[in-house]
Amino acid sequence: MVSIQVVSQKTNNMKQYLKISTLLVIAVALTLLTISFEEVLNPKPWVDNEDYLFPRFISGGIAILGFLLFFEKGANSKATNFKDLLPGLGLILTYILTMKYIGFYLASMILFFAVVMIYKKPEESTDFWRVCIFKLGIAALFTLALYGLFTEMLHVQPPKGTFY
Amino acid sequence: MEFLDYFANVFTLYHLALLVGGTFVGIILGALPGLSPTMSVALLIPFTFHMEPESGLILLGAMYTATVAGGAISAILVNVPGAPANIATAMDGHKMAKQGRSKEALHYCFISSFVGGIFGVVILIFFTPPLAELSLKFGTTELFWIAILGITIIATIDSKSVIKGLLSGLFGLMLATIGDNPVLGVERFVFTEHLTGGVNIVVGLIGLFAMPQVLNLMENYYSQKNIALTPKGSSTLIDSFRYVFGKAKALSIGSLIGSVIGIIPGAGGQIAGLVSYDQTKKFSNNSANYGKGEPEGIVAAESANNSMVGPSLIPLLTLSIPGSPTAAVLLGGLLIHGIFPGHEIFETNKEVIWTFIDSLILAQFLMLFIGLFLSRHSGWIMKVPDNYMAVGILVLAVFGTYSIGNSYSDVLIMISLGTIMFFASKAGFSAVPVVLGIILGPIAENNFLLGKLIGGARFDGNWILYFTTGTINIILISICIISIAYGVYSSRKPKNK
Repeated sequence: MVSIQVVSQKTNNMKQYLKISTLLVIAVALTLLTISFEEVLNPKPWVDNEDYLFPRFISGGIAILGFLLFFEKGANSKATNFKDLLPGLGLILTYILTMKYIGFYLASMILFFAVVMIYKKPEESTDFWRVCIFKLGIAALFTLALYGLFTEMLHVQPPKGTFY
Repeated sequence: MEFLDYFANVFTLYHLALLVGGTFVGIILGALPGLSPTMSVALLIPFTFHMEPESGLILLGAMYTATVAGGAISAILVNVPGAPANIATAMDGHKMAKQGRSKEALHYCFISSFVGGIFGVVILIFFTPPLAELSLKFGTTELFWIAILGITIIATIDSKSVIKGLLSGLFGLMLATIGDNPVLGVERFVFTEHLTGGVNIVVGLIGLFAMPQVLNLMENYYSQKNIALTPKGSSTLIDSFRYVFGKAKALSIGSLIGSVIGIIPGAGGQIAGLVSYDQTKKFSNNSANYGKGEPEGIVAAESANNSMVGPSLIPLLTLSIPGSPTAAVLLGGLLIHGIFPGHEIFETNKEVIWTFIDSLILAQFLMLFIGLFLSRHSGWIMKVPDNYMAVGILVLAVFGTYSIGNSYSDVLIMISLGTIMFFASKAGFSAVPVVLGIILGPIAENNFLLGKLIGGARFDGNWILYFTTGTINIILISICIISIAYGVYSSRKPKNK
């Protein structure tokens, strides 16, 4: 009985999230619509009103569909497992922000190593240093393969930083 | 028989190497559960940017063919279809694997994929030029409605809710308006310097398909269990060939249904596989065994999903409307090489397009040989842990995105779009209509503004008349309305049961 109540409460919360996100969609659409009319309200000689005509139709459509979605029956959303997702999101953010300072290859190797160290299943070996060296080796091999394939063979340049 | 004139182009050492490499990697990527053909082709597009157009398209075509077939490996060994197109394959394939007949099931899968694939390419060769001629009759208003039709059909077929599908399509169109106006050249919605260049098609493709997958793999890392079976059984290759070619009925139903569904814009392999499986079951003498490990089910599903590949390119090459989600991504691949679908494609880019189509024939043979070889050793592919896969996809996505224009802003846009899409997919929104909106947005807006100018002059300022009159316009508008109505009807149908 308790579990049924928990599930039902969770479903209600999910529906609420969906309603909130629908309202956000409508708000964004209306903001874009307003921005598109700014040129009409404050005409600038170099901007033609026609420039915003197409986006105006689209944002109008988004707003109308947003209202319809708000009242759609059976609308629901899946729960997000933030506990397992957040470390990954944090690593991605750090990777993107540091990449341009330390260089793509070094940042990718560190990211590879960090992801496989943080996301590990309990059944993996308990010998920390052994696992650490093995995973560091895989990360280095992966980065070397990327360098060989893209920079040496295909001559595609990645973001460069202090350490290349 | 114009296609025969360009066959020799496929047999250069470079193109053969691309075909073998694309097929080999495509089968492995397709076999990895969660790596769909759409995402694999999207990840590859930036790396074809530096190639000649025909070389790039040959690689993308080989990848498309191989990933669809490779998806059957995980469907059979893990019961997790590598792509939505392989859902029907899993129904009997995994049961056969559990009975210790996985090797036999994998043989059937690649042989029937080959037969279906060849059938599909033949349809592509003979149906594309006449349809391209038809597109000659299309002016600005017709092209505007074609773009809207493409988004509407994908939005209503690919999403469970019509409203969410259409919202996704409109979101894509909105993203396409960021940056310079295509006709008048004024900047719009550029709130930060990172958005000055707008949203590049390939950046959008990678972000919307690859990033949500990376986040999914991380989110579900601890709840996923690896239950892959290893390929085993005593079946010989000759026995398997005999069996598949003995099932002419299942092969013909599968290939025909797959081709027809492929031509229908937006429908894709998932529908082809399931419809063909269902129809073959109805006409089969062994219908009671379907779902319990009946090889005929694999033959029907796999011949259908691979025969869909060729025909899905017919509406794409002639009318800019993709026949499947992966074909939508290929449209991005064509555009970055400056190839615009329509009647001109067989005039201005004749050699490129026929070489590409011819390469698809060879890709089917390679898919058969490499697939049969890899299926024997496919157990290890299934053992790649999700954490390694997630970080591998992420690094490739970042590299691919950056390499398009050596722009850090593109990387930021890709990551932001992907993260938004990940959370939006939780609420039931689909990435495919968004991508199509980004791709078709400039075509729709260009033709809308030009049509408005011409219509305004012809109809004394009442340009709407120009868009709503004329036989082709009326037909296209009607199809748009019918597809929305059908989407609403089919989304409500299960609830009435």
